[in-house]
Amino acid sequence: MILRLGGHLSFYAPQKASELELEIPARIPLAEVLQRLHVPADEVALVVINGEQVELKDAYISDQDRVQLFPPIGGGNGSDRISLDGA
Amino acid sequence: MSFGSTSKILWVDLTAGALRIEEFDEDFYRLYPGGKALAGYLVLRETPAHTDPLGPENVFVLAVGLLTGSPLATATRFTAAARSPLTGAYGESEAGGFWGPELKQAGFDAIVVKGRAPAPVYLWIHDGEAEIKNAAHLWGVLPDAAQAIIREEVSSEKARVLQIGAGGENLVRFAGLTNELRHFNARNGMGAVMGSKNLKAVAVRGTTRYLQISHTPKLLAELGRRLAKQAQENPISWDLHMRGTPALVEGLNASGMLPTHNFHTGVFEGADRINSDAYAKEILTDRRSCFACAVRCKREVAVDGRVSEYGGPEYEAVAAFGSLCGNDDLQVIAKANELCNQYTLDVISTGATIAFAMECFERGLIDLETTGGLDLRFGNTSAMLRAVEWIAHRQGFGNLLAEGSRRAAEVIGGEAPHFAMQVKGQELAMHDPRGKANVGVGYAVSEIGADHLVSIHDTLLQNPNSLQFQGAKALGITQAFPARSLNAEKMQQYLICENWVSLEKAIGYCYFGPTPRSFIQVDDVIASVQLATGWDVTLDELLRMGERATNLARVFNIREGFSRQDDTLPERLFEPIEGGPLMGAALSHAEFEAALTTLYQLKGWDPITTIPDRQRLDELQIGWAADLLGAAA
Repeated sequence: MILRLGGHLSFYAPQKASELELEIPARIPLAEVLQRLHVPADEVALVVINGEQVELKDAYISDQDRVQLFPPIGGGNGSDRISLDGA
Repeated sequence: MSFGSTSKILWVDLTAGALRIEEFDEDFYRLYPGGKALAGYLVLRETPAHTDPLGPENVFVLAVGLLTGSPLATATRFTAAARSPLTGAYGESEAGGFWGPELKQAGFDAIVVKGRAPAPVYLWIHDGEAEIKNAAHLWGVLPDAAQAIIREEVSSEKARVLQIGAGGENLVRFAGLTNELRHFNARNGMGAVMGSKNLKAVAVRGTTRYLQISHTPKLLAELGRRLAKQAQENPISWDLHMRGTPALVEGLNASGMLPTHNFHTGVFEGADRINSDAYAKEILTDRRSCFACAVRCKREVAVDGRVSEYGGPEYEAVAAFGSLCGNDDLQVIAKANELCNQYTLDVISTGATIAFAMECFERGLIDLETTGGLDLRFGNTSAMLRAVEWIAHRQGFGNLLAEGSRRAAEVIGGEAPHFAMQVKGQELAMHDPRGKANVGVGYAVSEIGADHLVSIHDTLLQNPNSLQFQGAKALGITQAFPARSLNAEKMQQYLICENWVSLEKAIGYCYFGPTPRSFIQVDDVIASVQLATGWDVTLDELLRMGERATNLARVFNIREGFSRQDDTLPERLFEPIEGGPLMGAALSHAEFEAALTTLYQLKGWDPITTIPDRQRLDELQIGWAADLLGAAA
């Protein structure tokens, strides 16, 4: 999968990379990937998988996915709800 | 005692060619510490009511922030203020760079300019002295050449030059000022005010270090070193350095709120070609800094195959000349940005006024005959660049656009005013309130007309566990709200943030310094003021400084006849946004008006007239401002 880390999210990634190519053997929760990469879920304001906005808590990813994550500054989710779970 | 200020204000009468210096005491500065607060005081006190913004009676003020010039990262800002020729309201614009710190080092906190010179002049200020010099030979000269000539004439390579370009000389209503060619007081037409006074430039050089005028220099320097380290270690300031503001393009587009085709939609199909990756690949050549700022967020870019002398486009320029005008060519954006910077035109108002004209053109309200051959379809890059040139020189159809979108719409007539995305005559910045509602409140109530640096954008405070929200808690913010909600409780949050941002402008911090936007925590902001001044200030007193400055500007506007009906938004924002993730999102009139009523009540203002209560002005220790309003207050 391709993982794009917008804004300051790449600060946390290995080598502070803004784009990572990861091998995902099976469908897993995105939150698990973030945990492994030490990207704090609370800094993720917007999740886009293959062009569709998704809530982080509902986000599962597979190897062919293209995932974009944005922090509050550049993104915000334009949601009409409060997000308590980082999504 | 030293309290971080010079105590001195320079008064310039250009009609008489006279200069004088006035000293103010520490008690005065504790109320009006600098920047927006000091400028607001001087403009309100000195400007006669109903002054022609481009007439000699208008009063032009340059005021340095309280901490500006100190060794604190991002404390570089100064304010330019006057009655605005764009809005007719209180006009104000901040810039960073190097000029503000230099003025402080030269021994002045502010300059008040009245009158009009019979022929072009510039001011030369150096270590407590000032003189008026001939600038007839500099009128019409591009800023890089003018800066070199001035430095040679004053025999100082290190002189910092604040100046206007062709836009200011030609009284374009949204012309600004530049210092060091790369930093801009862009908004509200302050450059046209300078131009109307025949004042080409203000060059300064000073050698008194800020630490020499601060109360506790050793600890202040120590705080400066700690903040510099934090700037490099904090994720948000790290990102500002690495990608800068253009990083916003990708996220805002993915959120569906990247202003596109004159705010018709919030998604731009060419977004990938103008985002920060493309920027780094195609035009970025280097990064630069403002005075003593460890963030170093300024961009250097290549334009036409050479490194530009005028800096690189920030996000606002990328969006204004990119998605807003339907252009996905970064080279063209960099060129448009360079043209604006050398002519000292506000990139936001210039791009937005052209986008307005493009919509009028596409809808048939104007045609090739009206525009003098400018084929102003969205995405026509050569027409866009020519329009910038024509605006700066008030040539042909550019003469109408140089008046700003509101005035141009009145002349074009028909439906045109509906497409002018402006408040009080100033064009919206590149943020769509249909995705972040408090930004809309800020656009509407801001005394200077629509601007994005009035409060804190909703998206920063919608997750209570984020870095931004955690930082904001020290301001007394306890509750998170959805970005698109508008309700009474959220107005309390808006107001705290508005007072905080207003304070930043008074004490000289950049919007990209303090939390919640960036890395400097509330306690360190308080400590920085305490160490610079020796004052035992609390957060409450600091927020009141910010609130006081806003109230001075509001009183100015009330005196000019502004009222609640001017605190409004373009109707388009109440209409559903087309396409993208926010498709169908619109502000609601009922919610918006109810929120504003709550906000005015929280501010202590009459909800119908927005006139501040006398009691509130007394509490803010500016009862004298109520006297200016007579029986109205």
